Amino acid sequence: MLDAFEIITTSGIVLWRKHYTPVSSNVINSLINDVFIEERGGQKAGGQDGGTNPPYKKDKYTLRWTTGKDLGLIFVAVYQSLLHLSWADSLLTAVRALFIKQFAPELKNPNVTAIDARQFNQTFDALVRRLDTGSTRRPSEPDSDVGPPELTPPSSTVSAGEDEPPPLPVSASATFKKPAIPERQKEDVAVIDDTTSADATPVPTPDTSRPGTPAGQPVSGVLVAKGGPGKFSRRARKANSSMLSNSAPASSGDESPARKPKGGKTSVKQKRRWDTDGGIVEGDDEVLDYSASGPTSAPGEDDRDFDLTDVNADEMGSRTRKGEFVLKDLDDEINAILSSQSTSRASKTDPSAESSGLLSSASSKISGLFRNVVGGKTLSKADLQQPLQQMQTHLLEKNVAREAAERLCTSVETDLLDQKTASFTSIDKTIHESMSKALTRILTPTSSLDLLRNINNTITGPTSRPYVISIVGVNGVGKSTNLSKIAYFLLQNNFRVLVVAADTFRSGAVEQLRVHVRNLSELSQREQVGTVELFEKGYGKDAATVARDAVTYAGTGEGKRFDVVLIDTAGRRHNDTRLMSSLTKFGQLANPDKIFMVGEALVGTDSVAQARNFAKEFVDTKGQLRNNGVGMDGFIISKCDTVGDMVGTLVSMVHATGIPVVFLGVGQHYGDLRGLNVGWAVDKLMR
Amino acid sequence: MEQQSVLRDWATWAFSPSLSVIVVTVLITLLVPLILHYLLHRQSDSTDVPTFLLIGPSGGGKTSLFTLFTNGTLSTTHTSQLPHTATCRLPSSTSDSSDFESEVSPRNSEFVLLDTPGHGKLRHHALTSLTSPSALKGLIFVVDSAAVSSAQGLTEAAEFLHDVLLVLQKRYVRGKRTVAVPVLVAANKQDVFTSLPAGLVKSRLEEEVGKVRLTKSKGLLDSGIGMQGGAGEDDGDEEEGNWLGEFGAKEFAFAQMEEYGIDVAVVGGRLKGEGDEAGQVKEWWDWIGGNLSR
Ligand SMILES: Nc1nc2c(ncn2[C@@H]2O[C@H](COP(=O)(O)OP(=O)(O)OP(=O)(O)O)[C@@H](O)[C@H]2O)c(=O)[nH]1
Ligand SMILES: [Mg+2]
Repeated sequence: MLDAFEIITTSGIVLWRKHYTPVSSNVINSLINDVFIEERGGQKAGGQDGGTNPPYKKDKYTLRWTTGKDLGLIFVAVYQSLLHLSWADSLLTAVRALFIKQFAPELKNPNVTAIDARQFNQTFDALVRRLDTGSTRRPSEPDSDVGPPELTPPSSTVSAGEDEPPPLPVSASATFKKPAIPERQKEDVAVIDDTTSADATPVPTPDTSRPGTPAGQPVSGVLVAKGGPGKFSRRARKANSSMLSNSAPASSGDESPARKPKGGKTSVKQKRRWDTDGGIVEGDDEVLDYSASGPTSAPGEDDRDFDLTDVNADEMGSRTRKGEFVLKDLDDEINAILSSQSTSRASKTDPSAESSGLLSSASSKISGLFRNVVGGKTLSKADLQQPLQQMQTHLLEKNVAREAAERLCTSVETDLLDQKTASFTSIDKTIHESMSKALTRILTPTSSLDLLRNINNTITGPTSRPYVISIVGVNGVGKSTNLSKIAYFLLQNNFRVLVVAADTFRSGAVEQLRVHVRNLSELSQREQVGTVELFEKGYGKDAATVARDAVTYAGTGEGKRFDVVLIDTAGRRHNDTRLMSSLTKFGQLANPDKIFMVGEALVGTDSVAQARNFAKEFVDTKGQLRNNGVGMDGFIISKCDTVGDMVGTLVSMVHATGIPVVFLGVGQHYGDLRGLNVGWAVDKLMR
Repeated sequence: MEQQSVLRDWATWAFSPSLSVIVVTVLITLLVPLILHYLLHRQSDSTDVPTFLLIGPSGGGKTSLFTLFTNGTLSTTHTSQLPHTATCRLPSSTSDSSDFESEVSPRNSEFVLLDTPGHGKLRHHALTSLTSPSALKGLIFVVDSAAVSSAQGLTEAAEFLHDVLLVLQKRYVRGKRTVAVPVLVAANKQDVFTSLPAGLVKSRLEEEVGKVRLTKSKGLLDSGIGMQGGAGEDDGDEEEGNWLGEFGAKEFAFAQMEEYGIDVAVVGGRLKGEGDEAGQVKEWWDWIGGNLSR
């Protein structure tokens, strides 16, 4: 049971949609935010090849999507996670092909802001009917035998319906709900019910009234294709009658013989019957279905009137023929699309090669060369491969981890594939620009960190308390140094800072901090800014407990004496499981407002593993990763002054975790701490 | 000597009635005007048509406004990922009923609207288009009047607005384009129960931009500044250059931007009405109309 289907442009406009149940627009927004913009959790949608994008889960929904990259389209199917819609992928592929085919001229116009896609309702409904049949049947056969409760509810509804002698028209499904059905089925029935009453859409009915055709996949496709129009009209008429009269005894009587026969032959026969019954019925149904399937928009209602009058005039015959044609055409097309996606891809490239003859192929080659210089060249995979390889090598030379470099190149490739280069722009330049954009996007934080304001907000007001920052990282990356730099920066802003030595492990760690604090204290006294103090409990104590005590000390005692608590932690190898897991307890006990991880600009490939392993330790008491599921709040990349242009570590670490870089250490002095300027970093990387 | 003969040979060829000469001549005659036209047309396209830029935090209603203005109907929208341009024209009622109608012929009631994504990671689209189109006639900063009643929404809007205004200010100061760019802060979603009226949106934003300006000035320097090999410009006046509005002023007010030729207006409106009622965008049209014929 589909909840919603939407077709969206990359600029955010919904071109067409169909909602069976109300689905909050947040659901799709978070798909766009998480998958397309932040590229969280795995691959970005893979362009034309479509196929299997991992499903995205939000709230109680599962979303599957595919893209029509060259036209900037996103196709999204939304359904409840409880269900298992194996046909969602085929639906997406088919809708993509048909929608693009039907509206290609409008879509190609870059200025277009909306298209009148109401006619697509019809195509879509037919598609759903087709595919829904195909997929529910497949699981339904083994299912009715085995019958585990998690099976897709549509199929179990079918089998339940077959046990019950009386037919189950939609209007009766409310009463059908009462018999003891497992929880999930109940829900499903409720959904169906909901839909019909809200939308008067015929689409849900296939679930209850579908004959279980035993047949191999390709054969069944053909059979159903033939049976299509007949079922179509019955269902449409039923929808109509239930819409008009609100109770559908007649149609339910109609339905019962339709359900019982189970062979493909019968459905063919039925089709014939409807054919000989005459075009009038079909034409009529066509129109009714059309009207019924445009429930979401008020304009759809107007259309119905319009179309009815249209039919009452003499257009009926031609309309019928047209409708029939559309459907047959559709069936063939769906078969073609689904049976071989590769064929459709091949045919895409075919015309240019095929329309040849020696002369035109030569001329196309020349124009290809010309276009490379002047622009306007449509980029193919072959065009992109070589320069992308170079780009990847370039990134690797800048110390970007291989994993990140590959992903960036893939993302650029999907971005550019089948695109036209701009005027007077070579392929290299186009790739360069696209890569700059990708880097900018990856390095730019979703929301900027304004530490001073955050602190001010926390330490003022009725619920004021000290602001807690803690610093983690592997050994020797400069945790204490960077902590002192932050302390210096905060002191300059007149905060009262408590530095906590929670490194109770490495000998000399406390002494090192004491030196820093003494220096900072002297500096701030001289400059008459904030104050700083050290909190330490010696060695051997549990770091998490020390940290918690420090926070309590800072917040209570003699009148809330501190604004900010900076906690230094012991450096640890990211593959030392025992020490790493103690971070979880630390995070929960000290509960810092911000956890920053220090990473070295110098490290190469190790940076990715470091970042990942640290991030995954910071789960809160509910088992969720901190900070919206990314674990930490930011990276401090130290020793940036020593690497010149090779600032690739920034990209690797952000890429691996989705955690932004917030500070850069750029020297030996307390003042050598900088915020990240994304433009600067991208400039260095692309130089 | 050599050269001369080559030249002569060439000239002889050029004046000979051979087929190749004719072909070359015909090609040149055909292609040159085409290419010229192509080049010139492209240029005139990008310079002449006045452009209005839609900018603002995500979910403010930019794309909705974009579809309404370009298309006449409000589309359903989701988060944008890419900018989008379209031409649109002032509705005739706007030019009739207001006082600037005198010179608004159909031809110059046309303009380009540029919608940009508001997501934090995608703001570079908006900020670069702030400086690029030379015929930028105005900026429409769309905010959700309900979101600015929460601290988080307010901060986000104010930070973005601060950055936008700062770019405009720098652009003015550098003096490359002395054309002033007016800013309309469109306080959208006035139909929502929790929304603040335009006046309140204005004062809240001013106050918050003031705070942002203050912490930005105290915050850490950006990377690139004062680092060897850095790309940052070493202005001696960096601090003053990065200060929005009147330097040293404690409070921020949009009026301070007038010094930099930036006229900020905060106007309420809504794209959706209560229930089925239509939205109320007339005043925004008026603002566009006013700045179009300027
Ligand atoms: N109630 C109400 N909702 C509105 C109004 N204007 C826009 N919306 C809704 O606000 C939501 C976001 O609108 P968009 O136009 O997509 O926002 P945007 O500014 O383009 O957002 P990004 O593309 O992410 O930057 C949509 O669901 C609109 O329907 C309004 O005046 N009133
Ligand atoms: Mg948008």
